[in-house]
Amino acid sequence: MSLLDTLQQKPGALIACDDDPEAVFDLMCSRGWSDGLPVIPPTAERVERMLAYCDRDLDKPVLNIPPRFGAATPVRIAANAVMAGCKPEHFPLVLLALEALADEQYNLYGTQATTHPCTPMLIFNGPAAKEAGLNAGQNAMGNYFRANAVIGRAVRLALVNIGAAIPGTGDMATTGTPAKFTFCVAENEEQSPWDPLHVELGFPRESTAVTVIAAESPHNVNDHESLNAEGILTMVAGTMTITGSNNPYYAGQPLLAFGPEHAATVANDSMSKADVRQWLFEHATLPLSRFSKDTIERRFRRKLAAQYADAPLDAPVRMFAKPEDLVIIVTGGAGKHSQYVPTFGNTRAATRVLKRADGTLAKSLHDFKRN
Amino acid sequence: MGKIFLVVPDAPVEKAEQLNANRTLGESGIRLGILDNTKGNADHLLNMIIEGVKKEFKVDSVVMTRKAASSRPAPDAILDQLAREADLVVSAMAD
Repeated sequence: MSLLDTLQQKPGALIACDDDPEAVFDLMCSRGWSDGLPVIPPTAERVERMLAYCDRDLDKPVLNIPPRFGAATPVRIAANAVMAGCKPEHFPLVLLALEALADEQYNLYGTQATTHPCTPMLIFNGPAAKEAGLNAGQNAMGNYFRANAVIGRAVRLALVNIGAAIPGTGDMATTGTPAKFTFCVAENEEQSPWDPLHVELGFPRESTAVTVIAAESPHNVNDHESLNAEGILTMVAGTMTITGSNNPYYAGQPLLAFGPEHAATVANDSMSKADVRQWLFEHATLPLSRFSKDTIERRFRRKLAAQYADAPLDAPVRMFAKPEDLVIIVTGGAGKHSQYVPTFGNTRAATRVLKRADGTLAKSLHDFKRN
Repeated sequence: MGKIFLVVPDAPVEKAEQLNANRTLGESGIRLGILDNTKGNADHLLNMIIEGVKKEFKVDSVVMTRKAASSRPAPDAILDQLAREADLVVSAMAD
């Protein structure tokens, strides 16, 4: 039985539309099933082709997405992946990212519903990231590259459509962020002087992994002049120390994404990732006096009383609670720029490794292809 | 123009009826539960609501609880206490 036949027996699973791209887009927008950009029509035939790269039970939810707690079955996720423009071989990575978002420590409910402008940043490592065509080089956080654009977009569409993260009702973001259209990167493992993120976290180098963080838009670190690690990190610390971020208040895990040239300069001074974290933990601080009087009184003195009730105004406020909380990757191409990515704060990064339904590590996206 | 059938990309609200419960209030009055989500003015708003409820209904008891952080769910211990000690719960955020 085809997927179309199956879905025709489920009331509400299909909707009829004129066979016209503009009519489809109008319908999607009128139903609230869009991010505001045109979509590929999720016909049953296209959804079925997407599901050719899924080795799971097609009706068993991968997660329930808050705030509606809609059941995210592979069929529904695949419809969103089609809309986003995914190729079928992208689908295992979309599912993997959603699995990671289901990790309780990520706090999907809080990040979906908050007034804060956060969105899932997807960081892929490993061979299947390259196989999918994810760009880790020039313009790694920018536009142009299909895999980055559509995998991140598919996840966002699923969060909106299945989870009902509708602006003003389910998603209460005050301003939001353009990163809510898509924020999907891969680590530039070839040009990193350090172990890639998934290896650092204890996963096999040959595995493929995604790490999700509840990210703000990236903040640029432009440093064309510094010639050593201390210089680069001084500029990074200057970019990290901002009063408007959530990270000074919560034990969150902000991200530092070195451009390869900055990373090389830092590593050439024999600094490991752990050294970088320790240095920034000590130097990326603001004196308490840099915050407003009301913020000092109402937030630091009252809500964070254990640490700041009697703290002097020159007490250092750190941008992350422990050195190991700073997530570090290398991504991008040539040039003297890095990116600092603050987070929602009350969230932890979550990582998942790409496995087949039988629990074995996947070596290739084609491992998921149904016969 | 021909028609095509699209797979609906959203998900229905499931088992929503389970969120509703019939309340039978006893003669002794309401056992009112309060869950403060720690937002800046939530406590002020909730105190106003308590006073408002007391003017309209007979209130037997008020149990006050407070989450550790606004952006995390209330822990089971708080939810269990509210289930035990309250007939209805008011939660609020107010920045």
